[in-house]
Order: sequence, then structure tokens, then C-alpha cells
Amino acid sequence: QTYRPSAEPASVRSHPGRSPPLSTMQGLSAAPPAAFLLLLLSALLSPAAAAPGAERELNPSGRLAAGAARVALHYLNFQAGSPGALKELGQVRKYYLQFTTEDYKNGENAGSCLATVLYRRTKFPPVVNIKCMHTKDQKQIQEEDNRLYQKIRHQTKPITGNNIPDSYGHIEPALEPAWALAVAGSSYIMWEKSTESLGYFLAQVKSVKQWVNDFIEFDYTVLLHEIPTQEIISCHMRLTWLPGHPLKVKYFCASENQGLEDGSGMESGSAAGILHGKGANF
Amino acid sequence: HGGILPPRHIIRIYQWMTQIQKSNSELVTQHYLGKTTENRTMYYLQISQPSDKIKKIIWMDCGIHAREWISPAFCQWFVKEILQNYRSDPKIRRFLQNLDLYILPVLNIDGYIYSWEKDRLWRKNRSPHMNGTCYGTDLNRNFNSSWGSIGVSYNCSSEIFCGSGPESEPETRAVAQFIKKKKSDILCYLTIHSYGQYILTPYGSTTRPPNKNFGPLKITAKCTGTDDNIIPVLNIQMHVAEMAAAALMGKYGTSYKVGPTSLILYSNSGSSRDWAHMIGIPFSYTFELRDKGTHGFVLPPDQIQPTCEETMLAVTTIIDYVDQKYFPGGAVMLTASSLGLSLCLSVVLTWTVS
Repeated sequence: QTYRPSAEPASVRSHPGRSPPLSTMQGLSAAPPAAFLLLLLSALLSPAAAAPGAERELNPSGRLAAGAARVALHYLNFQAGSPGALKELGQVRKYYLQFTTEDYKNGENAGSCLATVLYRRTKFPPVVNIKCMHTKDQKQIQEEDNRLYQKIRHQTKPITGNNIPDSYGHIEPALEPAWALAVAGSSYIMWEKSTESLGYFLAQVKSVKQWVNDFIEFDYTVLLHEIPTQEIISCHMRLTWLPGHPLKVKYFCASENQGLEDGSGMESGSAAGILHGKGANF
Repeated sequence: HGGILPPRHIIRIYQWMTQIQKSNSELVTQHYLGKTTENRTMYYLQISQPSDKIKKIIWMDCGIHAREWISPAFCQWFVKEILQNYRSDPKIRRFLQNLDLYILPVLNIDGYIYSWEKDRLWRKNRSPHMNGTCYGTDLNRNFNSSWGSIGVSYNCSSEIFCGSGPESEPETRAVAQFIKKKKSDILCYLTIHSYGQYILTPYGSTTRPPNKNFGPLKITAKCTGTDDNIIPVLNIQMHVAEMAAAALMGKYGTSYKVGPTSLILYSNSGSSRDWAHMIGIPFSYTFELRDKGTHGFVLPPDQIQPTCEETMLAVTTIIDYVDQKYFPGGAVMLTASSLGLSLCLSVVLTWTVS
């Protein structure tokens, strides 16, 4: 699951975007009033303006780091393969991240990840390179997936449902697998749509309908919560799942301003291996 | 729902408020605040220990955004806890001697009802625009704090539509007029949202830190570190918020991020928290409750009570701090940190004088 782009773009670190630690003021006790001191120091220690391509240090609690970590996780949850060679450079914004994760279901510590996230121009998904230490046994995950697959295959009725979770936050146990697959599939959509300024969460599964055929295939309407616009984006998603094989996701999202956006892809996915970000740190 | 009144229709909330006042009439009174767009009455609850002392005020509002249901649930929980424990809990008894608590359980009543009846993920109020073809202003972009400058839309169809002007919405006006009237007595403004697990300080519209001197002490710095190595930190607001987040985490291990909105969330203008701080209220915070996106607005019912319990600890930490800061004396324990603080105070005063 590691991917190395064929051409490394000019790497970007970060500049101190915040004011410097004030412990540096200690040696200046005999100096002019405090306010002037601060002004002087901030002029000395922070660069005038970040030139494009300059290195910047990010605040790990800040929204940019959190956004980039979220994107990395969308990508991981979807467990994509190769996103293709880099072509356009333009404004290159690459993030280096380390963060811990929790199990999506029970919140237990699920290991830490190292990732890079490279934002490109709109209409191109961010390039993610991610490697994680898993606390959950991968073989165990595979076995859970296979059990779940068999269970769904041998059901008498196809799975259908609306509002998952419902308005009160409740998820029918029988619909949990459908919800988990929706999270995996939506992660693909959210990864593709994420930019440095727009991030996504899955707000609710509006509807799910299982196709009756030889595969495990679902039609979903999912509602994505877009930050910082606060919009709710409705997406229709067709998802096909076979454990150990690339997850097939086709989608289109309704958008008031832009009309319909199309997207599809073949990527691998696992229902039992979904991770949720805990916190970003450098 | 863990023993609290399930936040069903708004009628139940009105009924709950009436009932709370009836069964705790020595402490609680219900007061008229204003009317919503759809002409519903906004009430706040005043929790006030009878006394001849002049009290200062803590204000808390919930439910400014319709879909954030855990927020009104918390306001209800908070009132219930105070009333249940004020006789037995020495901390509550202490701060109620000096502070009145003003609680507005649902600020955006019309939007809240709409999210129950029509659209679970509705956010704004229900004011009509463009001849009734478009509805809703984002009340938390509608206050007069750098209104309309950043992080908003001027288009009604947007979820962050800031309205036709600052305080254009009756709900905003009802809250703003009241707080303006009482501002010399209000020490703390709290506004409860979800989700994200943050305690947010001013400002959303600028990254310049708030820099106000308040009260007789004119504290502009707090000190950390040992006596030999005092490191001044500007921003007591941050310090108090960090204490609150630590107290919250102590309950179930839930971690909250703390900081100015513009740095850790996104830029915005016209928020109630920024406005409250701009008019002079010293401690002004936005809480974003559980979770971090797994369920988002549709938090599972088994998380309602734990969320309320842990948030209670954070809020009472802030109230305690405000109480001890503005009403020192009585049985105050001199702890190491308060000693350090008084040492540091003398250092700060020297700096600003020279």
C-alpha cells in the first residue's frame, strides 16, 4: 500500500505561522515596554512573506494539518492503489504528517500512521502516501470481512434502509454492515473531492438498496458535510464489494453551483479495517 | 436517554422549563427574551440564589444551529444538574453565592423544530428571502462582529448566509439586546455547538489575539514554569479553556482541542462569541461537543449522557475560575499555582510600568 511518485516535487515544509515562544523574551528585562518588545521579536523571527515553495512549519492543532490528516485517512480507508503519475506542479502544497488512529466502531487505539498529502489543482484528487502500524491483526480483519461477506450472500432478503444513523443517532444492527461499506465507499468520494480549503465528513446515509445479483452491490445516497461551507452534499454511490479485491465505486454528487460531478474508480477496500483519525501531530 | 428529558418537540422544552421553575421556584425563574421569525417566544432560565448581594452573570446559550441536537440536550442537563446538586455540592454553593446563571436552552427555536419535522440536517433559522423561495440566515454569522467580512456568503441559498445585515434576525436581536443591557455584569459568555470537540476562543475573523484588560487586576499575562524560570504567556482565556478541556478529559478520556477559531477551525465573522468578547465580556467561549465526525450531528443516544457529564465538568471549571477570580476571599486555599501567579503578577506590573 505504499506509493512513491515517480517525480518528487519540490518538497515543502512549513514556516512558523504563529508568534514565537515568549521564553525568548527572558533576556530583555531592562528593555522598552512589553508591547514594543513583542513587535520587535515577531519582526525578527517570522519571515516577511512566505515565498511560493518556501518551507513552513505547521501547527499540528491547526486546521490545515487536521484537514491534511483527514484526507490521508479518507485515502487509507479506501485503500487506494496508484493514483497516477504527477503531471502539473502549479502551487505545490505537500504535507508531512504523523497521527494516531482509533477503531471506527469502538474508539480503541488502532495504531499510528505516517503520511504525505499533496494537494493539486481542483478537479485532481490529492496525492496520498500513507503507511500505518496496525494494532489489529490483518488476518483477523480478513477473516471478519469474509464472514461478513458470506453472511450478506446468504441472506434471504436484500438489504434496504433509510436514514442510517436515524435522526436520533441510532443504527439498526442489521444495517451496520451496509453502513460500514458506505463509510468505505464515501471515503473514496471524500478523498477525491478534498482540497486544501474544502474538507468532508459523512453526515448520514440517506438510503441503501442492495442489488440482487452474483456480487455484493449496493446503491447508496450519502450525505456529505462540507467544511467550512457547512453545506450538505448529496451523492449517489454505486458500490461493489468482494473481499480481497479492489472496491468498485461509481458516484455522482449533486451540486447547486457546479451541476453534476462524475467520478468512479477501482480501488480495494475493507469493511473491518476502517480507521478514524485521533489527532494530528508532527 | 439517560434520565434527561428527551429533547422531543419544542413544546416539551417549554413544558420542561415551566415544570423546572415550578419545582425549584426558590432558585429558578423563567424570563421572556424575545420572539423568533415565526413568532415563537424565546425564554431564558435564570438560576439565582436568593441573597441581598449583587451578583455577576454567567450566560450560556444552546441550539443556535438547528441540527446540533446534543447542544440543547446539554443545556437541559446542565440546569438539571445544578438544581439537583446545589444543596449538596460545595463548589456549586460557592459560585451561586456570587454568580447568577442565565441559560437559553434553544436559541434557534424555529430551525430546531424544522430539523425535527422536515430536515434533520437544517442549520439556519427560518427567515424567508427572495419572496419565500429561499429560507434561513446562519445566526452565528449574523452578529455585529466584523459582520459580513469573512467566512460567510451573501447568498440565501448558502448554509453560512450572514443575513441582510448585522442583527437582521429577530433571534439575534433578542440575544444581543439583552446581553448589551446586562454586559457590565456578565463575566462569561458560553455558546454550545456540535460537532468537533473544541473549546474555541476569539476571534474567527482575525488571528490577532484578543488583548483586553479586565477588572481591577488588569492581568495581561499568566505565568507558567518554576519561580526561577517564569515564562509569561499572553492570554488567560486560553489558560482557562485549557483547564476546562483537561477537566473534561478526566471523565472519559475525551480529548478536546483548544484555541482561537481562526487558527484551529476556519475563519468566520459575525459569531456570537466574537461579538460578546468585542463588547467587553472577558471570558467568551464556543464549545463544539462530541464527536469528531464519525456520527457528527446524529450522535448515538448512548453518547448523550457521557457527553453531558464531561461537558459539565468543563463548564463548571470555567465558572469556578471566574468565581474565584472576581470574588476571591472566603475559604480560598493558597495553592502552589496561585502563589506562582501572585509572584508573576508583580513581575508583569513592573514591566508595564517601566
